[in-house]
Amino acid sequence: MSTRTVVVTGASGGVGEGIALACAEAGWRVWVLARREAEGRAVAAAVDAAGGTGRYLACDVGDRPSVAQAIDAVVAADGELHGAVHNATSGRSSLPIPMLDLTPAELADHARVSVDGLVHLAQACLPHLEATGGALVALTSEAAFEGKLRLSAYAAVKAAERGLARTLAREWGPQGVRVNCIAPLASSPAMVDAFERDPTMAARVLGRIPVGRLGDARADIGPVVRFLLGDDARYVTGQTLMVDGGSCAIA
Amino acid sequence: MTTGRGDLVGIARRGPVSDALGAALGWAAPVSVPDLAAPAGDAAWHDAVADWRRQVAGQVRPARGVVVAALEADLVPEPIDEVDPQRWQQSFGRPFVRWFTALQLAADLCADGGSIVVVLDRPSSLDAAGCGATVALAEGIATAARSLAQATGPRGVRVNTVTTPAHTHDPTAALAGSPPPLAGYPGDVATHVAGAVRLLLTPDAAAFTGATFHADLGRSWA
Repeated sequence: MSTRTVVVTGASGGVGEGIALACAEAGWRVWVLARREAEGRAVAAAVDAAGGTGRYLACDVGDRPSVAQAIDAVVAADGELHGAVHNATSGRSSLPIPMLDLTPAELADHARVSVDGLVHLAQACLPHLEATGGALVALTSEAAFEGKLRLSAYAAVKAAERGLARTLAREWGPQGVRVNCIAPLASSPAMVDAFERDPTMAARVLGRIPVGRLGDARADIGPVVRFLLGDDARYVTGQTLMVDGGSCAIA
Repeated sequence: MTTGRGDLVGIARRGPVSDALGAALGWAAPVSVPDLAAPAGDAAWHDAVADWRRQVAGQVRPARGVVVAALEADLVPEPIDEVDPQRWQQSFGRPFVRWFTALQLAADLCADGGSIVVVLDRPSSLDAAGCGATVALAEGIATAARSLAQATGPRGVRVNTVTTPAHTHDPTAALAGSPPPLAGYPGDVATHVAGAVRLLLTPDAAAFTGATFHADLGRSWA
């Protein structure tokens, strides 16, 4: 697979970091777009160590100009863009809140990062992805299919992202750009945090995974995203791949 | 505010779609969700919504169930790469919060053992190009309804969703070569939606909760 330039939002840790490192293993140029500079630069350095070329850009995906500026900087530096991964989510994603107690501001924050962020990334990247026949990957969740008792805002925006990605696949297919989703289940700081808040969640989640473990962001999740961004997935668009050890029996 | 026969409440925006649904199902005037912006910060926004929910719940007590429907108008197809931020907030951001508020109110109003039915505008999968905001909203709120079903299940309240393309259909959206829709597509609310809603409100639908039914004459299969 030839060298590619890809961007990953929210890649300063967790699943985003795993995706960035998996792309680095293919020798790709990986741009880490995130708000947390120290962590983002650390991931960029790890990308270098993993065989890629890593760089960090400060980016607030909920702010359209911030995303546009970041993508402009990527293309100015590398001359092209082959792939974009929208991994960023609200910092409230793992905070359990009963649905009837959700506030408008909490809802708006979830929508801003997950859904508005995907729109901003899509708009900024389209002309460049069209030029290279590239691909966009959005991270959804099994929560989008199941709903979640105390993570209903997170589940709703993940479903919205999935619907938006499927629509984009139909809009952009004629332009040669593919759009897919993955629904990962991986250990991450957010997952660890959620388990600490609710120990019963840990037992429930692990108990329903046929393979008996959480996924590893770099070894299990990242390669699937790398596949979707690459030529081997040239005929795959509008799909959602469940990368969850069999946890959510969708199909 | 009035509720028709008093046993069924509609939460909807007045207009042709909600009027047709209301006439078919028997509510006189729906509860309208106000577009409560954030006038003075997040706390004021929360307080305004909470006050409104308390006010309505103090006045309305339907015995049969609650239907949440037709909250949005002006569902204009627009490719994602052409949507500006203000238009996106009008098409997705603000409606997303309004819908959640409406679902929360529905739970406030619905008696134990009752039924909530959510009616969503949603283009079929084959006809979704250019309808990103509408599809994102529909998918998000259908999942929110499933979450609500989990929240209200312990007190016997069922929550189900019916989607319809009747209000959003754009005959130019389907890719050339897509199979033609069945006769009667995209359907109309009184004929194709009201009957499904009526069923879901009755004990005949006791086994359904958290489910989504696409009333689009078979044009979506997922």
